[in-house]
Amino acid sequence: MRKPVSAFAVHGILALYTALALFPIVLVIMNSFKAKRAIFNTPLQPPMPWNFDPIGYVKVFGDSAISTYYMNSITVTVGTIFFTLLFGAMAAWALTEYKFRWNTALAIFLSIGIMVPIRLGSVSIIQLVSELNLINTLTALILVYVAQNLPLAVFILSEFIQQIPKDLREAGRCDGLSEYNIFFFIILPLLRPAMATVAVFTMIPVWNDLWFPLLLAPTGGKQTITLGVQQFLGQYITDWNAVLAALSTAIVPVLVLYVIFSRQMIRGLTSGAVK
Amino acid sequence: MAEVTIEKLHKSYGTVEVLRDINLTVSDGSFVVLVGPSGCGKSTLLRSVAGLEPISSGHITIGGRDVSALAPAQRDIAMVFQSYALYPHMNVENNMAFGLKFAGTPKDEIARRVGEATRILQLEPLLKRRPKELSGGQRQRVAIGRAIVRQPKVFLFDEPLSNLDAALRINTRVEIAKLHKLLKATIIYVTHDQVEAMTLADKIVVMNQGRVEQVGKPLELYYRPANLFVARFIGSPAMNTLTAELSRDGRSVSVGGVGLPVTVGAAAAPGAVTLGFRPEHCSIGKAGVPAKVDIVERLGETGYVHCRAADGTMILVEVKGDPELEQGADVRVAPAAGHLHLFDGTGARIPEA
Amino acid sequence: METAPPRPAQTTGIVGMSSAAYARVLVFFLAPAVLVYTLFSVYPLVDTIVSSFYDKQNDGSYVYAGLRNFSTLLSDPTWSKPFWNAFWNNVKFFLIHMLVQNPIGLLLAALLSLPVLRFRTAYRTLIFMPTMLSVVIIGFTWQLILSPLWGIAKMFLQTFGLGFLFGPWLGEESTALITISLISVWQFVGIPMILIYTALLAIPDELIDAATVDGLNQFQAFVHVKLPLIGPTIGLVSVLTFVNNFNAFDLIYAMKGALAGPNFSADIMGTLFYRVFFGNQLQLGDVSMGATIATMMFLIILCGLMVYLFVVQRRIQRYSF
Repeated sequence: MRKPVSAFAVHGILALYTALALFPIVLVIMNSFKAKRAIFNTPLQPPMPWNFDPIGYVKVFGDSAISTYYMNSITVTVGTIFFTLLFGAMAAWALTEYKFRWNTALAIFLSIGIMVPIRLGSVSIIQLVSELNLINTLTALILVYVAQNLPLAVFILSEFIQQIPKDLREAGRCDGLSEYNIFFFIILPLLRPAMATVAVFTMIPVWNDLWFPLLLAPTGGKQTITLGVQQFLGQYITDWNAVLAALSTAIVPVLVLYVIFSRQMIRGLTSGAVK
Repeated sequence: MAEVTIEKLHKSYGTVEVLRDINLTVSDGSFVVLVGPSGCGKSTLLRSVAGLEPISSGHITIGGRDVSALAPAQRDIAMVFQSYALYPHMNVENNMAFGLKFAGTPKDEIARRVGEATRILQLEPLLKRRPKELSGGQRQRVAIGRAIVRQPKVFLFDEPLSNLDAALRINTRVEIAKLHKLLKATIIYVTHDQVEAMTLADKIVVMNQGRVEQVGKPLELYYRPANLFVARFIGSPAMNTLTAELSRDGRSVSVGGVGLPVTVGAAAAPGAVTLGFRPEHCSIGKAGVPAKVDIVERLGETGYVHCRAADGTMILVEVKGDPELEQGADVRVAPAAGHLHLFDGTGARIPEA
Repeated sequence: METAPPRPAQTTGIVGMSSAAYARVLVFFLAPAVLVYTLFSVYPLVDTIVSSFYDKQNDGSYVYAGLRNFSTLLSDPTWSKPFWNAFWNNVKFFLIHMLVQNPIGLLLAALLSLPVLRFRTAYRTLIFMPTMLSVVIIGFTWQLILSPLWGIAKMFLQTFGLGFLFGPWLGEESTALITISLISVWQFVGIPMILIYTALLAIPDELIDAATVDGLNQFQAFVHVKLPLIGPTIGLVSVLTFVNNFNAFDLIYAMKGALAGPNFSADIMGTLFYRVFFGNQLQLGDVSMGATIATMMFLIILCGLMVYLFVVQRRIQRYSF
């Protein structure tokens, strides 16, 4: 039915926008492997044997802290995802399965955090974290991020739990399982696809966040990679090889993870998890 | 196996009464079917027996033990759910063994029971499959298997055939009947399908609006429905009902100006009554209730003639072969003697003398 | 058993479980989430709002100051000038997103959801990529690209004969904010695109078939059938844009630092809040005024949410398919 001309136009627009989206990323990664002179003289040329120079990466990984920052980011992200999923699933289960007096009120209370950004409470978060002696610790970051991500996790997981047939829990009760065992042995395994969705939505903002690392763990080797790169860039701002290599080091792992999980993410969105 | 008794059972959600004063005895080894229109409370009653729904008052005993306040797992029951409720993340074998593992049953005992259920239900080739790799009929059998391994005193079935297609439904119905004979189990079975109820049950419980309307053997309900509700509910197509006038001596009713002999005797109150007769228990002939042919359905072996009586009530007549009638034809519908049912103003059956 | 008294009405909803056991179950499942959330999200938010009503004395104690902090912020020129500057900049920042980011997102989503489109997944995945990256990375990358030192942007414009247009956009007061907004648009266009795209996918094909049978062409079908049906999603995209924009900080901080310079021309609420609370080269940190600005941000976001909940969401019909 479509005329070939308009199909051509559609692909033209999409391809053009795709190029616009990728151009800066490709440019940075490409030039990070090149000698300084080639970066400036032939920026659009891909790395070739005659202009190849890994000096930027030598500097980045020579700065031993970078690998520590990576570990910090991984610890914070994995820790946040684990506790967000565990606590979120538990709360979502209780709110959907059990009748009690404050059920609706509690659900509304928890959902406030979906829309109101936790950053607005930063003044008090810093005071609280320093009172708890958690400044410059990854624990502080994990606690704050769990608090930040719980509301959406509870919301998404509740929708999924409602889709699990009621008969399954009752079969569990007939089989003699306690409420705890019904949750851990029947519900939790069935929530795996939903938890993957929540994990993807949690992972990216936590990994990329600059605000809380800057406020809560800015020094003492507890920087996340995002903050670490930001500080590194500030130091080496004139050393283009180092800057481009640092940027690439931060970009590539995220993109790899994204390509792996993009299908999961779209499925999560289309299944009506986020409305 | 054991007897189940239900005594003065009430259940309400807030102010809505969903079960009202249910009294019922299910004798040891019998197959009782709860039947009724949707929303009549039959599933709620079954789930109350299972312990999945709290009851408001009354008692349920299983094998002489009052289980009203016990958790489902402590009641010696097993339930087969409408959706089968197989655990999607476990294979067939683990689905059957799951509950036993949590009950702390020894390993070899679990293996023995699962093996036996597997043999009875011919599940060997399916043991390592996940539920989603099974057909509807196979899932059904696994669900029954999971019930069997628990060695319950009572099996509870909640509309187990409603998710199967028509052909498989007939097959599985026969399987369940055989299984009942084999296990000699006490079974309470919920369905909205009266054919299932008639073919499977030793005893049928007809429910309506949270109340038991009648309890009886299948043919008892068919031949002697206790009230208008049961009369209209049991039998397909449904019974014809017409308003009629009972004579003083209780020996005839008049309907549409025509008198029909009945045998209720003088004990019954004369006056307005409801006359019922089944489409298969009447014929089109020279005498009888006057009516006009509305629609004729020809199915080959039988035909259905939809007629309209003088007061507008529809009457359905089942005839052998082709009725050879045209729309608009004036006919007379003659109910067969001995197959007339009379109901009083409250809908209760007027007993024959 | 006929003499057994009527049992007390079940309160727990689970047969055979005592109220105490039921309470234990509830506490077990709910306590961790409620505690962490309350302590690290709700309490700080409430506490921040409360401290905006207090003022620090010279001896370090805090005394109740009523609305004085707010009147200072809104009327004392040393405070009100930067505040209104940041506020109006933030409004511009938001409007640029609404008028550029969301229409582009809608267009891309509409194209992506066309039937029988080849490379659909590839386009979708690649266009969404920048959204995945840290704002810090994006900020620096664009700083390099727009840098006159590297000259990539200039070179690019020159190939189209537009070299004269090039300028130090990030460095000039008149263009810094717009440039940063457009970079942010470039990064986040994936979010409206993916939300609208999934909403479009949820519309059953039969509806479009019906419109085709009714004689609508594809464009008309989009405008008259699909667009009204994704109304709720567009409402959601707008409110998300609002909340995220009035809460933004990272990109401007990464590109311009806390001073959001040249001459605060790119200053928005988030950077103002950070500067006031932590202090900087020009001033000492001020907890009370920081909390006051955060409370103002909270009120602004709350207004946006209210408009969404009571106006947009009420007037938009939700459809289920």
